[in-house]
Amino acid sequence: MYLEVKDLIKYYNPKNQLIRKINFSVNKGEIVSFIGESGCGKTTFLKCLSGLEKINDGQIILNNEVLNDKATYVKPQKRKVSYIFQDYPLFPHLNLIENITFNLDSIYEKNLSYMLSLTNLENLQFRYPHQLSGGEQQRACIARSLIREPDLLLMDEPFSNLDNSIKESIIDEIYKIIRHTKTTTILVTHDIKDALNISDRILVFKAGIIQQYADPIKLYCEPANRYCAKILGDINQITFDQEVRFIRPENLRVVDNSDYSILVEKCYFQGNIYKIKGILDNLPCHFFSKKPYQRNIKVCVDFDEKDLIFFDSLCLSYFE
Amino acid sequence: MINLVGNNNFYVKYENKRWILVSILISFFILLPILSVFFKNFFQDGENSFDYIWNTLILEYSLSTIYLIFLTSFFSLILGIFPAWYISLYKFPLRNFYDIVLFLPLAIPSYIMSFTYSDILSFTGPIQSFLRNKLPYIYPFFNKDYLQIEILSILLGFALSPYVYSVSRISFSLIGSAYFNLSRNLGLSSFKIFYKVILPLSRPAILSGLFLVIMEVLNEYGAVKYFGVNTFTTGIFKAWFSFGDVKTSIQLASILLVIVFILLRVEKISTKKTKFHYKINAKSNTLIDLDKRKLFTAHTICMFPILFGFFVPFLHILNNSIMAIKTINISHLFELTLNSILISFLSAFLIVFLATFFQYCERLSRSKVAGLINSLISLGYAIPGAVVGLGIIILFTSINYYFDSVYLIGTLFTLIYALVIRFLAVGKSPIKSSLEKHPKSYDETGKILGLYSLGLFRKVFFPINISAMIIAFIITFVDLMKELPITLILRPFNFDTLATQTYEFAIEEMLVKSSIYSLVIILIGASMLIILKKFIYKYNYVS
Repeated sequence: MYLEVKDLIKYYNPKNQLIRKINFSVNKGEIVSFIGESGCGKTTFLKCLSGLEKINDGQIILNNEVLNDKATYVKPQKRKVSYIFQDYPLFPHLNLIENITFNLDSIYEKNLSYMLSLTNLENLQFRYPHQLSGGEQQRACIARSLIREPDLLLMDEPFSNLDNSIKESIIDEIYKIIRHTKTTTILVTHDIKDALNISDRILVFKAGIIQQYADPIKLYCEPANRYCAKILGDINQITFDQEVRFIRPENLRVVDNSDYSILVEKCYFQGNIYKIKGILDNLPCHFFSKKPYQRNIKVCVDFDEKDLIFFDSLCLSYFE
Repeated sequence: MINLVGNNNFYVKYENKRWILVSILISFFILLPILSVFFKNFFQDGENSFDYIWNTLILEYSLSTIYLIFLTSFFSLILGIFPAWYISLYKFPLRNFYDIVLFLPLAIPSYIMSFTYSDILSFTGPIQSFLRNKLPYIYPFFNKDYLQIEILSILLGFALSPYVYSVSRISFSLIGSAYFNLSRNLGLSSFKIFYKVILPLSRPAILSGLFLVIMEVLNEYGAVKYFGVNTFTTGIFKAWFSFGDVKTSIQLASILLVIVFILLRVEKISTKKTKFHYKINAKSNTLIDLDKRKLFTAHTICMFPILFGFFVPFLHILNNSIMAIKTINISHLFELTLNSILISFLSAFLIVFLATFFQYCERLSRSKVAGLINSLISLGYAIPGAVVGLGIIILFTSINYYFDSVYLIGTLFTLIYALVIRFLAVGKSPIKSSLEKHPKSYDETGKILGLYSLGLFRKVFFPINISAMIIAFIITFVDLMKELPITLILRPFNFDTLATQTYEFAIEEMLVKSSIYSLVIILIGASMLIILKKFIYKYNYVS
């Protein structure tokens, strides 16, 4: 394994551990998304990987080198780890090009023009940070991180300030570079779409422990518990054979007659489709439809049994 | 195969502690004279008049000190915040002019302000003379004793309001039009926006300016003595010089020091609780055209502190200087000017260096020890200059047993040493607020990009804080130019400065003769403050 995290524990107050003995590994060139609620310790975890925070117990190994354990601590300056921060901190006294090449080893200078064209910043080279928009500042931070060909790239909400018009193309480009350079990447994000789009694997984090670590399809279709199911998108609770089951909205189809009748509450137009919100057995329920429905009418839906998701009793009520 | 690389935990744990260790050593050297004063206090035997002061004067000292602080704070806030509000938010004629000259009252030492106003308001002064001759019917209403604590607080309010003005001005500008527009959109009137949004957001900045005002009031001697107000500082001098009782004066200084330490902690806690981070790398604020109906109010609010805080005393001193022009010894004046500049320059340079070191150390280590050191080294600002001078004398006579240190008393070295102790807090303030403005992610980015503590300072924090250091240098320089008691006590033999010469003539009631020296202090101070203004706004992207 390229990156290995073993029994990692991190706390600021021993009585309240932020990260409780987590274990996982990442292959070379893999992109892993780290998702969880605000304040759950995602950023602290990235800081542990980068060396900005020391771990309290456990071990971090990158490329067969121990970066941090009880006996060893490699300083952030010595780790070949790049970090894209959430508040895109460009140094205000340097122009864009000076920021990107800040403290850069001369062997990486050859990457400059490629990085500038990649992030579409060629025409802004001599502008100072306060003369750049939020999106431009963020792209500059991305360029500054990638130019030095890191062994591990850490990204803390890197796309949150990008305009929708360029966000997709930047994500595509970054994805290409990461793939091309085989840069192992950990992305912390709130945007589930970003996570599903570019990740090889997704790690769901809650209450200091890993809830599930799997590829996006498995995570979406076979969530480990109700929390994992909900964090990736809407999920409907239904009763099937007198047992509680769950199903994604897109797996419900409108039919003329069925045992499942939904009372429509609201209809959302989403361009190519309508998302319908309603009530099924006194519980909120969502499904998609090509045509709109009026409020308070009843719509019958059906599904395939194979699309049902089942949780055991413990996972069913997890975090509910 | 797993390779073990890097450093062990022991090294890591103590990595930043080397910085703390050095800062402890330097701070010990800075605090040594103050410590030696208190050491002597506790180990000196003999009678003292502390019981007498405790039973008779302590209540009066406390009440008049609190009353003076309260009134001066009130006037400084009024005279500082309202002009800052208009100038930061609105566009109107003469706005730029006001913006420059509102700093100028700082150029006039408060003792010179008091001497001048008491001269202007006295029986033989221009106002009473004019009223006596031209308007004898209303003259009796103006024939009053103006040497009152309330008048003193107004004068101190004028002299010290730039401390509040400067911090409010920057804060109001940086908060920006976004909040202003949002509040308007939410239906708030200008006045409500001011006290419901802008004031609460600027509270930490205003408090830091007010803290400097309070420190100045606590330490004020010349003006307070002239007005016959009994504060702790006058008590310290009275016990020392009138009763010849050093121990009592030090006991009073101890009380003052405790008060100041409590104030420092309160300011720190309050600032921490209400910390507001201005947006990084943000564009500057857009000014709003002022409604013509509000023009008169804006001009009155901006003109009032400048007129009475600078132009009236300045013109009076200028007039006196012209009257005394034939008696001026130009070469002597030039020599005193050079002496003042030399002492102020060397001390200010050293102060900025040390203040930057201490602040950077606190930022790096984020430890409580570094925070405490920074609070302790600020205490010198609250101690009357004379006590600092006394501390140096006690220290150097005490260690004379080990080496011939007594010969150092009365040299430039001890004078600068004392000035550094006394004015370190002044230089620290702009550097502190500048460093606090930069997010923690700058440090983290620097480290991730391969920089160590010194490299981080050299490549990031020095260039982005250079303007704050220049601002700190100028503010300290102007304050040092005005400094009096330490220079009087510790100056080398036959060594005079503009301030000492002004004071020597003034106490001999030769106000006219002292004016030219005051005028030079004011002119140098005013030029430096105009340069300062340019720096502050350029550096903060203030519109």
